[in-house]
Amino acid sequence: MFEQVPILTALLLVPLVGSFLVFALGNTQRRASIIALVVSAIPLVLSALLLIDFQLGTSTIQFVEKHTWIESYGISYYLGIDGISAPMVFLTTLLCFLAILFSWDVEHRTKEYMGLMLILEVGVVGVFTALDYFLFYVFWEVVLIPMYFLIAIWGGPRRAYASIKFFIYTHVASLAMLITIMALYFEAKPLLGYASFSITDIATVSGDFSGVFQVAAFAALFFAFGVKMPVVPFHTWLPDAHVEAPTAGSVLLAGLLLKMGSYGIIRIALPTLPVGASTLMPLMLAIAILSILYGSLVCLAQKDLKKMVAFSSISHMGIVLLGISTGSQLGIAAAVLQMFSHGLITAVLFMMCGVVQHKVGTREIPLLGGLAQKMPIAATFMTIGFLASLGLPGMIGFVAEFSVFVATFDSYAWILFLPIASVAITAGYYLWALQRTMFGPLTDKIDLTHAHDTNWYEAIPLAILAILIVFFGMFPSVVMDFITPSASVISAALGVG
Amino acid sequence: MIDLSPVYSEMIVLLIAIAIPAIFFATRSEKLLGIISAVGVIVAMIPLITFYISGSEPVVFAGGLIRLDAFAVAFKLVFLAVALYVIIASVRYVRGERHLAEYYSLILLATLGMMLVASSLDLITLFVGLELASICSYALVGFRKFDKRGMEAAVKYFIIGAFSSAISLYGISLIYGIAGSTGFAEIGTSLATASGMDPAILLATGMLIAGFGFKVAIIPFHMWAPDVYEGAPTTITAMLASGSKKMGFVALFKIFLIGLIAVKADWDVIVAIIAMMTMTLGNLIAISQSNIKRMLAYSSIAQAGYILIALPVGTEYAVAGGIFHIVTHAFMKGGAFIAVAALSTVTFGESISDYKGLAKRSPFLAFSMSVLLLSLAGIPPLSGFASKFWLFSSAVDAAATPGHAWLLWLAVFGVINSAISLYYYVRVIKYMYVESGSGESIRLPGSMVIAISITLIATIIIGIYPSPVLDLCREAARAFFL
Repeated sequence: MFEQVPILTALLLVPLVGSFLVFALGNTQRRASIIALVVSAIPLVLSALLLIDFQLGTSTIQFVEKHTWIESYGISYYLGIDGISAPMVFLTTLLCFLAILFSWDVEHRTKEYMGLMLILEVGVVGVFTALDYFLFYVFWEVVLIPMYFLIAIWGGPRRAYASIKFFIYTHVASLAMLITIMALYFEAKPLLGYASFSITDIATVSGDFSGVFQVAAFAALFFAFGVKMPVVPFHTWLPDAHVEAPTAGSVLLAGLLLKMGSYGIIRIALPTLPVGASTLMPLMLAIAILSILYGSLVCLAQKDLKKMVAFSSISHMGIVLLGISTGSQLGIAAAVLQMFSHGLITAVLFMMCGVVQHKVGTREIPLLGGLAQKMPIAATFMTIGFLASLGLPGMIGFVAEFSVFVATFDSYAWILFLPIASVAITAGYYLWALQRTMFGPLTDKIDLTHAHDTNWYEAIPLAILAILIVFFGMFPSVVMDFITPSASVISAALGVG
Repeated sequence: MIDLSPVYSEMIVLLIAIAIPAIFFATRSEKLLGIISAVGVIVAMIPLITFYISGSEPVVFAGGLIRLDAFAVAFKLVFLAVALYVIIASVRYVRGERHLAEYYSLILLATLGMMLVASSLDLITLFVGLELASICSYALVGFRKFDKRGMEAAVKYFIIGAFSSAISLYGISLIYGIAGSTGFAEIGTSLATASGMDPAILLATGMLIAGFGFKVAIIPFHMWAPDVYEGAPTTITAMLASGSKKMGFVALFKIFLIGLIAVKADWDVIVAIIAMMTMTLGNLIAISQSNIKRMLAYSSIAQAGYILIALPVGTEYAVAGGIFHIVTHAFMKGGAFIAVAALSTVTFGESISDYKGLAKRSPFLAFSMSVLLLSLAGIPPLSGFASKFWLFSSAVDAAATPGHAWLLWLAVFGVINSAISLYYYVRVIKYMYVESGSGESIRLPGSMVIAISITLIATIIIGIYPSPVLDLCREAARAFFL
C-alpha cells in the first residue's frame, strides 16, 4: 500500500507542520486544542495503517527511506522500522493523541503547550524510526527540549529545579552516547571501506571490533540508555521530573521517553556490540534485579500517589532490563512486550494521578479516602490501572511480566526468586494504595464538596487505554507476531539463540 | 599588468570605507551610511562566492604575500557576514551618536584587516592585517567617548592589545631569525630540518602562543575579555567575539599548522592543556556571572577552548572542524550579542535577571535567544551541534593513531564541558520562559530584527543542512594543507 508514499516521513512531517500551525493559528485555547487534536489524529491513523501493511514473519527492515544528507561524512536521512520499532511507533502516536485529548482543559499558554507536545511527538517517532546514528542522536536530543519546557512551564511547584535536573542529567547521558557513536563510526570506517553513520552498515562489521572496544562501547551505550530507562543507580532524575511534570507530560515521559532507553539497548546496542553485550550480561542482570526490588520497595513508602507511580516505573523498566539480560529470543521479545504494556498501563496510572489531583486537589494518600463514592468512574479506571500494573491475568501486564519471568527461569533459574518477590510487593503497594484512596470511608481530612467525576476528555483516553490493555492481554500474539522475528535475530547475534 | 582578482573584495571594502565619511559630509543622512555600508559588504561577497562556485585555482598576489584560496574565501565570507549583521544592527543602536561616519568606516577597515589576515601567506602581511583590525577595534570599543565603562574597556583593550602585538612580533622576529624567511611555507621547510628542542624555537613558540593567546582570549591570557566585552558598545562586542577573535584563530592556524608543524611534538601537549583549561574555566566562571554580556564573554572563552582542539589534533579533519565551529560560532555568538544590543535600545538591563518573563514581552527575541543559546550549548539540530560534532569527533579519530590516544581526552573534556555549559545557557532560557517578570511588551527596531534574523536563520539552516558550509570548510582545510 505504501510503496510509493514515504509514510515514515509523513509520520514526522505531520506533527512538525502541525506544531507550526498551532503556533501560527492557535490564538485561543479552544482553537489550539482542536488543531493539535486533529493533527495528532493523522499520525495515529497512519501508524495504524502502517501496522496493517507491515509484513509479518520476517525480521527485515521495512518502509525504508534513504536519502543522502551530509554526503562528505556518510550521513543520511535513513528511516525504517522492524518488528520492534513498529509497536513503539504505534504506541507513540497513540499516547500523543490521547495525551493531547487529556490536556483539553490546559488554560495556561495553550498554544505553546500543544505545539510542544507535537514537537515531542516528532522527536520520539524519529528515535523509533531512525537508522542513522547521527539522525538518531538528533531526534534523541530534540525530545529533550519540548519536555524541558513542558516541565518547566506547566509543572508543579518545584518545576524549575526538576526541569533543569532532567535536562542536564539526561543530556550528560546523551553525550556519553555521542562519543560512543563517534568511536563506532571511526572504528567501522576502515572495515567498511567507506564513511557511514548508518546503524545497519556499522552493525555488519562491528562484530570484528576488538573485544575490549566492544565492552567499553557497550558500557558507554548502556550508561546512556540506562539513564533514560532509568535503571538504578541512574534513576534519581525520574521521581523529580515525574512529580513536577504536568499530567500529559508524565504520561509521555513514562510511556515513551523511558522506552527510548530500552529501545536503544535492544535495537542498537545489542546487535551492534554482541560481544560487549554478552560480557556485560551479568552486570545487566544485577542492575535489573536491583531496579526491580528497589523500585517496588520504595513505592511502599510513598505518600504521594504520583511519586509512587513514578517509582513503580523504575521497577517495571527493571523487568524490561531483566528480559534483555537473558539474551534469549523469548526474553527479548518479552522485554519489548513489557515496554509496550508499560506504555499503555503507566499512561492510565499517570492520568489517574492527574484526575485525582485535579478533582480533589491533593495526591497525598493519607489525606484521601473513599473517593469511589464521589467519583465511581475514576475509581473504576484506577482499579483497572492498578490491577493491570500489578500483573493481573487477562491484562497485558501479566502476559509481559510472565513471559519475562519464564525467560529468566530458562536462563537464570537460581535467581528468579528475587525478581518474583517484587510481584508480591507490587501487589501490596497497589492494593494498599487503592484501598486507602478509593475505598473505605469517605475522608474528612479534606474538603470534597467540589470533587466530581472524570470529564469526557479524561474518560475517553482512559477508556481507550483500558480497552487496549484488556484486548492485548487476551490476544498478546497480535503484538508478539511483530516482535518475535526481530527478537530472534538479535538473540541469535548474541549467540544465545 | 598585475592581476587584481584576488583582492577585488578587499578593494570594494576599502573603497566604501573611504567613501563613507565623504558621503556623510555631503548628505548628513545617518541612515544612508548604514545602507551603503551594508550594500558594500554584500557586493564584496560576490567575487568571493563566484571564486568558490566556479572552482577556480588558488591565485597568488603580490609575489607570495597573499593567496586567495578556499580557506581565505571561507574566512572572508565569515568576516563579511559578521560585518553585515553588525552594520545592520548598528543602524538603530548608534542612532544619534557622534562621528557616525567614522564608526562605519572603522568597522569596514577592521573587516579589511581581518580579510587580509585570512589570505596572508606571510608573517608580515598577517601582522599588518592583524594590527589594522586591532587598531580599528580599539577605537570602536571606545566609540562612546563619554561612557566611562566604555573608555575603561578601550584603554584596557588597547594596552593588552599593544602588549600582545609586541610579544607576537618578538616571536615573529625570532622565527625569522631561525628560518631566514617570513613566508609560512619557507618557515615550515626550514624548521623541518631544525632539531626539535632548539631553545630559540621553543622561546618563539611560547611567545607566539602568549601573543596570540591574548588576541583570542584563551586561558591564562583571557582576563581582559570579559571587561572589554562588557564595556564596549554591544554591537562592537558582537564584532569582537565573532570577527576579531576568529581572525586570531586564523593567525594561530597559519602559524602553528604551516610554520611550526615540523615541531608539533614540542607544542601539541601544551596547546592541548591550554584548550582543556580554557573550556573548563571559561564554563565554570560563566556559571557565576550575573551580567549577560559577561556570561556570554566567558562562554566565548570556553568556545575558544573548543576551537583550539583543532591545533593539537592537527589533522585536515580537525582543521575543517575548527573552521566549521568558527563559522557557526560567528553566527550564534554574534546573534546573541546583537539580541542583547537590541534590548538595550529599549532601555532594558544587561543583568540576567532582567530577562525574567521576556517571552511574554517579546516572543521573537526570547525565541531567537533560546535557539542561539541552545546552539551554543550544542543541542541538535542546530549548527552548534554540527560543528562541535566534527570538532570532537576529529579528536576521537586522531586518538586511534598509535601514540595519540591521549587526544581522546580533548573530546571527553569537550563533551563534559558541553554539559556544564548547558546549565548557564538553559538558566537564561528558564528566566525568559518560566519566571514571570514585569513590564510591557517590547517593540524591537526593524533593523535589529533583520540582524537577529540573519544569525538565527544561519544557525538553524546550517544545523539542519550543513553540507554546503561543511564542504566549504573541508575545501578550506584542504587548501590549508597544500
